[in-house]
Amino acid sequence: MDIRDQNPKMATSPEELMPDTGSVIPPADLLDLPNVPTLLREAEDVLQKRGKEPESPLKESLKRLRRDLRAMVSLGVFIFLIVLAIIGPPIYKSFGATYASDLGGPIGPSVYRDYAHQELSKQDQGPSAQYILGTDSLGRDLLSRLMQGLLISMVVAFLVEVVDIGLGVTIGVLAGYYGGWIDQLLARFTDLVFAFPGLLFIILLTGIFGNSADDYFAKLPVLGSFLGNGNARLVIVSLALATVIWPLMARYVRGQTLQLKQQQFVEAARTSGTSDFTIIWRHIIPNLFSIVFIASTLNVANTIIGEAGISLLGLGVQPPGSSLGLMISDTLDQVEVHPWEVLFPTIVLTIIVLAISFLGDGLRDAFDPRSKD
Amino acid sequence: MIQFLIKRFIGLLFVVIGVTFITFILGYLSPSDPIREIMGQHFDQARWLMLRHAYGLDLPWYQQYFNFLVNFARFNFGTSFHYQDRAVWDILKDGVPISLELATWGTLITLLIGIPVGIFSAMKANTWIDTTNMSVALILYALPPFIIAVFAQVILVQINVSLGTQWPVAGWGTPWQYDWDSLQNKIVPILVYAAAGYAYFSRLARTSMLEVLRQDYVRTARAKGLRETMVVYQHALRNAMIPLITVIGLLIGTLVAGSFFIERIFNIQGIAAISVSSIFQRDYPVIQATTVLLAIGVVLGNLISDVLYSVVDPRIKTE
Repeated sequence: MDIRDQNPKMATSPEELMPDTGSVIPPADLLDLPNVPTLLREAEDVLQKRGKEPESPLKESLKRLRRDLRAMVSLGVFIFLIVLAIIGPPIYKSFGATYASDLGGPIGPSVYRDYAHQELSKQDQGPSAQYILGTDSLGRDLLSRLMQGLLISMVVAFLVEVVDIGLGVTIGVLAGYYGGWIDQLLARFTDLVFAFPGLLFIILLTGIFGNSADDYFAKLPVLGSFLGNGNARLVIVSLALATVIWPLMARYVRGQTLQLKQQQFVEAARTSGTSDFTIIWRHIIPNLFSIVFIASTLNVANTIIGEAGISLLGLGVQPPGSSLGLMISDTLDQVEVHPWEVLFPTIVLTIIVLAISFLGDGLRDAFDPRSKD
Repeated sequence: MIQFLIKRFIGLLFVVIGVTFITFILGYLSPSDPIREIMGQHFDQARWLMLRHAYGLDLPWYQQYFNFLVNFARFNFGTSFHYQDRAVWDILKDGVPISLELATWGTLITLLIGIPVGIFSAMKANTWIDTTNMSVALILYALPPFIIAVFAQVILVQINVSLGTQWPVAGWGTPWQYDWDSLQNKIVPILVYAAAGYAYFSRLARTSMLEVLRQDYVRTARAKGLRETMVVYQHALRNAMIPLITVIGLLIGTLVAGSFFIERIFNIQGIAAISVSSIFQRDYPVIQATTVLLAIGVVLGNLISDVLYSVVDPRIKTE
């Protein structure tokens, strides 16, 4: 039985079946549209001539990114540095002659090229076959320390980004989609975080809990061996950095969610009875990709600067561990005698920071071409 | 306007309470016992209890926090744990003028060089002058202050070596004195300190000026035959300054963050250096005092920027 038979009042005329657009007469530009089937046929013709499918926005963005020489070079440099930090030390330790140590006995490259190994009779040496970049004032291999410092920078950046994206996207989407008390709470919290100088908070946190973190994390079963070597404070530093950084991400995500919520495809999904969770998961989060991607790339630079800065002040990684900031701090008083020692970590840090900034700029131009200033 | 200010002021009060609370509670929750650390090897239970009582550390946390706030409102920051006979204010007194001097000159140079360079760049838009300026600004903006500081130091060392000069690489000299020795000490840190702000302001000034130069009224001014200098300085400049003025207050935050690194690298005994060394000495009263002072500075900067915004651009309505 037809449903119209049960309810004679139900609309049957085509005008009444039209969606309610709020006004009786459709807007003028809709009326002026030429014959739609003709248009579609023309579009198909164009596509067939080009012989390919229309490209997805992501593909187009990546294409724009690939044309950006500066961004691509930066990406290459960044990937090279990550690879260097991970596989550099084992390769570097695998070759080299055996030398006599001042504590007696010959030592192989896996010992004297360890970032924590001190050779007090070989302080402040220039480049040699034994130490490719020379040694610092405690006779430690500068290249090994640089690579270890890079690794630390990358680990901190990764940890902070995981928390940043996880918390920022979750809270941001909830605040933007539902509004209400979550939104209020987020607004108050971001106000406080923006007002409280982030660096002061990090300094306070690492300064006060740093020592006990050293004791606590060194005793953990699996991570202990990695965290024990003066790296325990990384956990505190990462946590502190993440606490300061995520509200900004949440604010971006919230703004984008508010915009997306008004879009017709979300409205359509809601009208057809899609649950809130599915709307968020299938329709909102995929559309946040570009903004989260760009923001987190730029955050990586800030995080690496932050970790280096904290270690430079003596509150981050502790000796015998190594970090780019700690290396600067260790070699700073030698600047008048051996300037290259402080120059190496500074140059590496400069390269990372510039590469990530340029990459971030390139991503922004590629994914959001309107935002160019 | 008044309503807006009152609203902002109440918001600010909340932030200050939040800041003092975070500062206090972190010190309170700290796992190490400052009294025990002062006593070191000479630990004995009776004196430990006595000292705890003297510093008010045996009270419940809300009472400690209340005392902390009351004392703070009276500018009484308590007594240092580390230097037991010195008041906190006495310790800070040495650092404040130095940091203030650094910040003052840093801000002045930022504004007096950054803004004109940005405007000049906008007028020469897309020439090699503009491109060079903006590339330098982009790099200075991306790099953290401590990297620029290290590079400056290394360059200074190289100059000293090759020219045989004795330019000091670190240190500060007497605050607010400008004889040749002090000047030599101060010029480089101040320039480095101003670099980040310079980059930010020159970029912003350029963007803002270009935006204004595209406006219709500028075209009108040109169409009626005004000289270009007249168009730029009389018509465009004032409107281009609006976004610049509003962010001046935010500069304080950048300056506070920068001072930690500049003071560390150039070995300047300012308030940030005192703050860091007090952390190593677990001197909580000093840590709390410096944190709250610096945070209040940043918060005031935000307030100033809000006020300037509503003064310069009356379209900003109280919501």
